[in-house]
Amino acid sequence: MDNDRDLLLISVFTFFTVCLWITFELLKTVKTTTVSATTQQIIIPLSSKIDVDTLSAIANKKVY
Amino acid sequence: MPFNYKTELKQYRKYYQSIEPIFTKPSSRGYTTVIFSFLAVSLFGWYAIRPTIQTILYLRREIADKTELNKEMEDKISALIEAQAYYQQIEPLLPVVDQALPPQPDAVPFFIQLRNVASASGVLLSTIQTPTIPLVSNSLQKGQATSPPASQPAYIVTIQVRGLYDGVKSFLTNVNNLRRVVTVDSINISPTDTTHVSSQSALPSSRLLQASLELKTYYLTK
Repeated sequence: MDNDRDLLLISVFTFFTVCLWITFELLKTVKTTTVSATTQQIIIPLSSKIDVDTLSAIANKKVY
Repeated sequence: MPFNYKTELKQYRKYYQSIEPIFTKPSSRGYTTVIFSFLAVSLFGWYAIRPTIQTILYLRREIADKTELNKEMEDKISALIEAQAYYQQIEPLLPVVDQALPPQPDAVPFFIQLRNVASASGVLLSTIQTPTIPLVSNSLQKGQATSPPASQPAYIVTIQVRGLYDGVKSFLTNVNNLRRVVTVDSINISPTDTTHVSSQSALPSSRLLQASLELKTYYLTK
């Protein structure tokens, strides 16, 4: 009787351990990005604005 | 010698016959069912259900990532096209940037500019002093690291000019208005020492001013 109970406890703990393991594996899969580091570098946003006012201000200065 | 199950099986009978009474008990049968059920669910969960769900979630994540990636790539392409248009628009102005912040220290052209400013302002440039200046910027020297410097490289030029108040004022204004990036670190204006004034000068010595300036000019390292 005690033997049966021990085996039951072991199987229950095994079951819960496996369930937790599966859950964490799935969470890791969901959270991990599939985009490579190189691609992430490529898609860094680019600002196309150029400070034309500063360029004009420099152009208005004199060269002697 | 071949195994004869009719005769030799009898000797193993005692083992499985001893298990039989255990399974006849209802509690044992129940425990066994439950234990094996848990173990079976664990086993199939790990080897069958987990990979399946993992593949599903991975594919969903990949679709979401690729959709987002596609959108960001389109934004970047638009930004690049826009930047190219801006670049073509400002292309004639680009040499101005090199004049303001040259890629080399360009000390001699800077001195020539100071001399020209002094002549244009009507003051006498009496002294130019500068510490050691590298002939080329650090990035062009072999064996140098390519990491950007902590601060913009610059060198200090100390000059002395002599002239009337209006001339000195004009000189300072013109230096401030030079296209080359120059900052005035310090300035010291004093009346000219009468013994120091050249006898060839037609200006009355009491009205002459002497300005000592410490200028800092910058250049670019790539």
